[in-house]
Amino acid sequence: MEIHPILEEWLNDWVWPSPFRGPGVDFRMRLTRERLVPVWNRIVLRALEGAQATESKYNRGEYPNAFGGYSGEGPRMSMNQMSTQLLTVSIPEQEKYLDLLRMRARQLWDEVKHGSLHADVLIRGGQVHKETELMEEVRANYSGSRAYFGLTATFPHLHPLARAAQNYHTEAGACLGIKCTLEVNKNPLAIHENLSQYYEELMHFMEGKYQMDMFCLMPEDQKPVEEALDFLLWPAFVNSRGLVPED
Amino acid sequence: MPTLRVDHAKCTECRMCYFACEEIGINAVYIDLEPRHRFEIDPHKCTYPTCVVCLMYCPAPGSIVEAETGRSLVPPPPDLWRDRSDKWLRDVILAAKEKP
Repeated sequence: MEIHPILEEWLNDWVWPSPFRGPGVDFRMRLTRERLVPVWNRIVLRALEGAQATESKYNRGEYPNAFGGYSGEGPRMSMNQMSTQLLTVSIPEQEKYLDLLRMRARQLWDEVKHGSLHADVLIRGGQVHKETELMEEVRANYSGSRAYFGLTATFPHLHPLARAAQNYHTEAGACLGIKCTLEVNKNPLAIHENLSQYYEELMHFMEGKYQMDMFCLMPEDQKPVEEALDFLLWPAFVNSRGLVPED
Repeated sequence: MPTLRVDHAKCTECRMCYFACEEIGINAVYIDLEPRHRFEIDPHKCTYPTCVVCLMYCPAPGSIVEAETGRSLVPPPPDLWRDRSDKWLRDVILAAKEKP
């Protein structure tokens, strides 16, 4: 498999650098090489394919992600993530793996900010005059996701290290998708809408990287990560997003 | 020995450096209450370049630099991580304990 240069650069910047050797690092490297790099490569290829069409839409004054982003992010996403994280696993258990309260407070800021950026795009792009108009706009309040009401909308990871798998893989995909979009789409509103999100996703990726390096030392610690990835990389799940594993 | 400095124009205050440094027991990253409650690195406790843990988990490009040269260490330059395949965490912690 030939790795796209965008992915190769990203791997060298953020994935491969490790501060030391250890069973957690070895575990992360193995599953990255064996299970994740092929999928990330396909994410890059698909994102680059879609980016040109997206740029054309922005230049025509259409903002394909803004209404859905406003609906999906903002306070709703914050409350989804915070409530599930706080309710599904005891606080003492969570605190062994991450600074839970600070990370959730930051998540509130991040998601609300991204909701605001989507609103910004719609206002600057002339779709609405002020944010309150979005209260009356169905597209800004609706999600087509089948998990809109389901538990999967609330990231119900019962173990903090299962959350690490999502941070590591899913956020890597988000980073790469945004990076590819910004490589192609130079519309100022696209940059305004996406750049901050890239750095938020990268921060989540680093959470997952850190948790795996530091805490996935024994097979019983690695198991929640492997199982979470079994779900996230499950062929049907992958296929539903148009990412078909090569094997 | 070179020392590290936080570039507050680039730092997003995500606190990964603080958490990582605390986890390995070095505790060189702290919150400076004056003037603006920002993260700083104590050069008397930091064992850079023996330890580069903060640099490997920082998600903000350019936010941690070498104080003497201004060289950005995020993302980590290859010379800081390519030769660390033989360094174990215990080596990093022992080196920190030996720092005068």
